[in-house]
Parts: sequence; C-alpha cells; structure tokens
Amino acid sequence: MTVDPVEVAKEKQAGDLFGEFRRSAEAISARVYRAGKYSEAAGIIAGLIREHSAKKVVATATPLVERLSLDGISGEVPVCRDNLRLHAAGADIGVSEADFAIAETGTLVCDATDINARLVSTLPPVHVALVNEDRLVAGLGEAIGLYGCGDRGPLPGYLAFISGPSRTADIERILTIGVHGPAELHIIFVGRPGGGDQ
Amino acid sequence: MSREIKRDIIKALSNENLRGALGRFGDAYPASREAAYANKDFPALREKIRSIKSYAADNLEDLARSFSEKAAQRGAIVYRAETGAQAREYIVSLALERGVKTVVKSKSMASEEIHLNSALSGAGLDVAETDLGEWIIQLSGQRPSHMVMPAIHMTRGEVAGVFTEETGEAVPADIPYMVKLARERLRRKFLAAEMGISGANIAVAETGTVVMVTNEGNGRLTTTLPPLHVVLVGLEKLVAGLSDTVPILEALPKSATGQKITSYVTMLTGPAGAVDASGNPVQKEMHIVILDNGRTKMRDDPVFKEALQCVRCASCLNVCPVFQLVGGHVFGHTYTGGIGTILTAFFDGLEESADIQSLCIGCERCKEFCPGGIDIPRLIGELRARQTREKGLPLSQRVLLKTVLPSRKMFHGLLRAASRVQKPLLSGEGTIRHLPFILSGNGGNLKLPPIAGTPLRDLLKEGRLNKAGAAAAKGVVGIFAGCLVDFVYPGIGLSMVKVLEKMGYRVIFPQGQTCCGYPVRQMGAPEVMEGIARQNLEALGETPADFIITPCPTCTHALKNIYPEILHKDKSFGPRAVEMSGRVLDFAEFVCRQAEENGLTLKPLKQKLTYHDSCHLKRSLGIDAEPRELIKKAGADLVEMKDADLCCGFGGSYFMKHPELSDQILGRKLENIFASGAGTVAVECPGCLLQISRGLAFTGNKPGVKHLAELLAGLI
Repeated sequence: MTVDPVEVAKEKQAGDLFGEFRRSAEAISARVYRAGKYSEAAGIIAGLIREHSAKKVVATATPLVERLSLDGISGEVPVCRDNLRLHAAGADIGVSEADFAIAETGTLVCDATDINARLVSTLPPVHVALVNEDRLVAGLGEAIGLYGCGDRGPLPGYLAFISGPSRTADIERILTIGVHGPAELHIIFVGRPGGGDQ
Repeated sequence: MSREIKRDIIKALSNENLRGALGRFGDAYPASREAAYANKDFPALREKIRSIKSYAADNLEDLARSFSEKAAQRGAIVYRAETGAQAREYIVSLALERGVKTVVKSKSMASEEIHLNSALSGAGLDVAETDLGEWIIQLSGQRPSHMVMPAIHMTRGEVAGVFTEETGEAVPADIPYMVKLARERLRRKFLAAEMGISGANIAVAETGTVVMVTNEGNGRLTTTLPPLHVVLVGLEKLVAGLSDTVPILEALPKSATGQKITSYVTMLTGPAGAVDASGNPVQKEMHIVILDNGRTKMRDDPVFKEALQCVRCASCLNVCPVFQLVGGHVFGHTYTGGIGTILTAFFDGLEESADIQSLCIGCERCKEFCPGGIDIPRLIGELRARQTREKGLPLSQRVLLKTVLPSRKMFHGLLRAASRVQKPLLSGEGTIRHLPFILSGNGGNLKLPPIAGTPLRDLLKEGRLNKAGAAAAKGVVGIFAGCLVDFVYPGIGLSMVKVLEKMGYRVIFPQGQTCCGYPVRQMGAPEVMEGIARQNLEALGETPADFIITPCPTCTHALKNIYPEILHKDKSFGPRAVEMSGRVLDFAEFVCRQAEENGLTLKPLKQKLTYHDSCHLKRSLGIDAEPRELIKKAGADLVEMKDADLCCGFGGSYFMKHPELSDQILGRKLENIFASGAGTVAVECPGCLLQISRGLAFTGNKPGVKHLAELLAGLI
C-alpha cells in the first residue's frame, strides 16, 4: 500500500491520470483494466463470468453497458436488466457504468439516482464498472466541481463515490474485504483517447 | 473524582485484551495516517475546515433554514428536533404510522446519543444495526467504546461468543467467517426492512444534500432498499456550500482510519427512486431529522463554540496516551475521549462529564492531530473550571489554592518547612518515600526527589551572582525558575547561570517570583492564577532584565502565552503581560539562538544521547528543533527514540492524582528510551526530568537523565 510520493508527483506533472488511477485503485484492492475497444471490454467481462462460474449477471441498461452486447458474450448465463430488485441479490456479477473516475484516490463517481445503478453495484459479490477514459479527473475537488456549479443543473438525487470493494476492520482492526457490498471491484476503462476505433 | 472512576481505571488496566487492541492501533495509527496525508498540506486543510465549520457555527440558524428549504424542494421532509426526546418520538411515530415492523440502521452516533434503539424496540419494532461493529455492540448490549470503531475493545473470541449466542450455532473465532456470517444474516434484514435509518457526516445548506462516509456498504443498502428512509443528523454537521464538503472529505477518512478515502462516499439530495420488495416502483420517502440537543447552547457559548468544528474523526482518541490505556468505556460516555468529554458535558450535562475531565493529562497531542483545529485540552480545562465554580473544591485543595498559593511567603515557607521535616524519611538512594509536600495527594511509593536543602532563590541571592563581574555588555538575563527548579532541582538553575554567564550575560534572580500559576488553572481555579500572574508581573517587571529565561516549558507557556490571555481585560496588568511576553524565552531556545554570536564554546561530548520532547515545549511553544541543535552542537551522537514527543506521564499533579495511569505512560516512554540504546536522556523540562528519573530509579538510574542546562554546564 505504500505509494512513492515522488512517483505520484511525476505522474501528476506528466498528466498520466490513468497511471495514477490504476496505482491508487489497486492499492485499495480494486482491479483495473484498459480496453481500447468495446469488444475487448466485453471479453474481460466474459472472462470474469467464466472465472467466477457465474450463474446470473445483472446489468444497468445504460449506454456504455449496452454497447458491449453482453448477451452475446455471456453464453448460457442470463443477463438481467429488469426487475433487478428481484434478481440482483441472487446474481453473481453486477455490471454498471461510472460517470467519472478520480485519479488521486482511485474513485468512481456515479449518478446512481436510478435504483438499478445501486442494486447492481451493492448486492452482487462482484461489481464490474465501465468508464470512459476521457472521464478521468485529477482529484475529489474537480469531481465535485463538475456537479457543483449552478448552470450544470441540480445535483443528482443519489451521487455515489466508490473506492475499491466494501471493507471492514471492525474486529481487532483486521482488514477484511467484502462485507455488505461487493468483495471484488473490477474497473474497465474504455476508449483510450486517440486510441482509434472503438 | 469519584471512587467509580478509580475502580473503572483499574479494571480497564487489568484487561489485557483491551490494552492489546488499543495499544496496537495506537502504535500503528500515526504512520498510516501520515501515509494517507502524503502530498497533502495538513495545516492548510485544517485551516480550511476550521474556517468552514466556524462559519457554519456562526450562521447555524440560517444554514439550517436554507438546508430545510432546499431539501424540501427536492422532496425530503425535514424535522427540527430540539431535544433527543423529540427526535425519538418523531421517528418512532413515523415508523408506527407507516406500519413498519423491521428497521435497518447504518452507523449514527447521534442515534446512540439519543438512545434511539431502545425507543424503537420499546415500541415493538425489530431494529438491526448493520455496521459490523455496531451490530456486535448491539448484540452484546454494550455502548460503543470508540466513535469510529465501536467494538475495538473486543477480541475475535469475544465476538465469536456474541455471535454464537445470537445464531445458536457454534461460531469459530475466525474473522473472515464472522464477517461472512454478518453479511448473510444482515442481508436478510436489509431485503425485508421497511425503514432504513442512517446518520450523516455532512449536511449541505446550499443544496439540501446529506453526505455519508462509509466502508462496509451497509450505508448504501440502508438508504437504497427500504422505501422509507430517515436521516438523523446533528445540527453541527451543516456546512454552507457543496464545495465545503471537499476539505472535510479529504481529511475525515485520513484522520479517522488512515484511508485516503473510504470505500463509499454517498451524497443524497432528496429521495431517489425506490422499488418495493416485489420490484414495483414506489414513491420513496425521505425524512431528515436535524438534532439540536445542546448544540445551539454550545454555539452560544463563546468558549465552547469551537467544539462544533469537530468532524468526528476520533483522532483525538487515537493519539491520546490515556485513551490508549483505558478505552472509551472509562474515558467517555456516548462520545469518548477528549472531544467526548466536551460533548458529554453539553449533551448529557456537566455533571456527567465531571469524572472523565480528570483523565486528560494535558499533553496536547490531540490538538496537534485535530483536523478541525480544536484546542481540546483547553476546553477540558475550562470544563474543570466551571465544574469547580459550581461544586467547589475539596477542602485540601481549597486551602492550597485559596490560602497558600496566593501568598508567596506562606507557600515558600511551607516548602522550606517540608525540606526540614522530610529528612528522616529519605530512602537510601536519596529519593523520598513519603513526601510531605503540600501538593501531594497520593504520593505513596513514587520515588520522588527530596526538596532541596537550600532553594535556588537563596543560592542566587544578591551578591552571590555575577562573581566574574561581567559588564553586562551582552545584556541582562532574569531567571524565572519555577517551583521545581527553585525548590527541588536548584542545580538546574545554577547550571543555567553558568552557561548564561559564560555567554557574557549578567544574570539576575528576581526574588519576588512565585509559582507560575499553571497548576492552579489545571485544578480548576483560573481566577487564582490571575492573582499569581500579577505578583509575577510585579516581580519581573521591576527588574532591568532584557530577557526572562526559564528552564520549564510550562512556566514559559504560562508567562508568554497565558498571562496576556487571562489579563487582557486588566487595564494595568494586561499591557504589562503583553510587554513581558516578548521577553520570555525557554532556556534551550535562547541558548541555541544566541550561542553562535556569543561564542559559547563547549568541550565535545562524545556520547550517545537521546532527547525527549516535553509536551508543552513542543506543542504549546513549537520548540523541537533547538534542543536537538544544541545537542548536536555539543558534539553528541543524537539518536532519536521512537515517539520522542509522546508524553512521559508527568502532567503536573496528574502523576499523583492518577499514579496507575501515569506509571503506564511512563513505562511506554522508558521502553522507547531503552530501545534507543542511548547512555543519557536529555530533557528540557524539570517535570519530565522528575518523572523519567523516577522510572529510571527502578533500573539503577541507567541510562541517566539530564536537563539540557546541566548537560551544557558540564561541557564548559
């Protein structure tokens, strides 16, 4: 978990937000992937489905998720997008998308006003979040600033900042990953800026 | 101080589990916190938070009104509860009106404060705490011992016992297993509950938003699954604008648990979408209960308004040497530790906080770590003063404070008498077993040093000083010795004279000086200190001293910082206190500054030496570099001990009031001293010297301990 401040400073100067994000997120037990194309992202999810022998996947019906055509890649495994209150608690993997990613802390920012965005990211033991690489911002202040200005409209009803999987250290200060929320968080960046075809 | 607290202290000290858990965390906390703050400017962040929160405190009513309006515009129902009872009644009636049977709760200290759980279960509702620590506390029928880690006092074995009783199956003392069990058990509760109750870390007036900082994910489930959500938020959580949340969110997780950010930060503005258990969309209801319960009273108090800057990170608990020994069940009420003592006085009444006030040793470490910039030790001192004003002092202290100390002649006369009658009581090693010292309350086998045969003031009488006949070319230095150096350690005073004269100063000892008065203030009689301050100002003001130098950081702090503060309304003495403040300096600071130009040459000291920071020198006066520089100048090999700035456990009269705690704190200091491998411990405080020598007396006085003045004088 030790982060070399010199390295961090260098990254900031170089503007390598992705590198900084990856370092921060991995330090808090998230897994970070970089997919140039949607098909690559879909492949990563297919791999996770196999790896976890998932029987059921739940997903939000949001644009980025829809582009992956999950039904095509998950084989026999059903991908539910409706009635998630009934399906999410029994699902092995939940797929959603984030609006922004904060490099400094490895945090995802999601407008989770739609209850489905919350159900898929809270109930299943594995959460996969997709985010566009051009949505990386440097710090928490910048992210909140994106919502905080009057002309950007009202704040979302439920704004969620997610950093790593759920955790506790309530017994003897021993860190345990995965309590009430997901035990695994996989973050897939899609669409490397200037990375050609998506 | 009641007998109960003494009993509780002894009980806590004999609890190995508690001390193991708290000690391990206390050891690990500063490093993990520092790593989290890497690349962050903590003082700047603290200043931002201080300014945001104090603005909010000044405008509490406006912010509450704006918050209520904005939240209502977004569809929330806001209720202002003046008392805990009103908040309880509102929430219980709401639950009963909506036909709620099961309630899930995420962590809320405000709900602990108003004993919400017992009100809900008393109304026949099934309430489940869902934060793992809180659930353990709920099942075992205890109260949280720590604001952030409620069950830190329990071992995995004890938790397994609690879970075994709850589930009726034999639960092994295996942490991952128990965490999984909590997930499964509470998941059923989440999915079935009709009402969710959460707390909030911040409430934003500009937008009507409540912000929650959590790790386990139970907060997200509590606010998502049940169609009815109640937020219970203390009035002090209000801030003006959304951007004000940034510094608080930056600091809170770092200060609380050493995390850069918690797993989840949730911002709720009005009710978000909901579905019922069968998946049908329903209208979500969101009720926000804003709790006053003593907070406005706190705001209206010019001294205690500052306590509203608290963000409830509990770092004041984590760094407190006393909390680390006894935990929150002794040191606190609902809220624990330093800030808990203050909050208890306002939320539960001054009387409730009476016992725990005495636990603060005044080391000021919490003040250094507090991200809200609260001077917690000062506020606890003020509570003591108020308690004393209300209840009076015990007889022995009353005589001491009201009759003896205000009269220098009587005070010093008693000390001289004590020096004569103690002789038959001296032990072989020259320490005293039963000190008939007037301040002693509990001084059993403490290995206290004897009172000197001749006090410094007699050794430095007119005519005995300036034997070399220095022409005072460099200036005149007045020594303010303080009681310990004057009457117990006159050798330190003589050493100061030797060093200062060698540097070319003419030294004088104003004979009218008396106790600095700080201990009196600590005992809860600040008005007595004012009288003493005037005496000292008279004594020191009439001298030609260009500088007033003390060997005691507490005296320096009193003369330099406290006198101007307590006398600011006094038209005659106020300006004199301010004027004198500029001339008062600590000995090491003065020597270090002047050593070069005044050609202080020292014989090289070829020794391994370690330095112990006195609490008042480092934290009240900000001096930690100068003593170290002097040690290096003397040519010694300075080896830093671990936690050099951790209190030695002296704390003035504390070591006699709470010897069992003082000894434990000292023990930790001694371990660090031994581990450094140094042959001598240097200190710049006669109190620390007394305490550390007392400990080292049990180990044959090895390593030795010396005041820096003695150390330097020995090299001339």
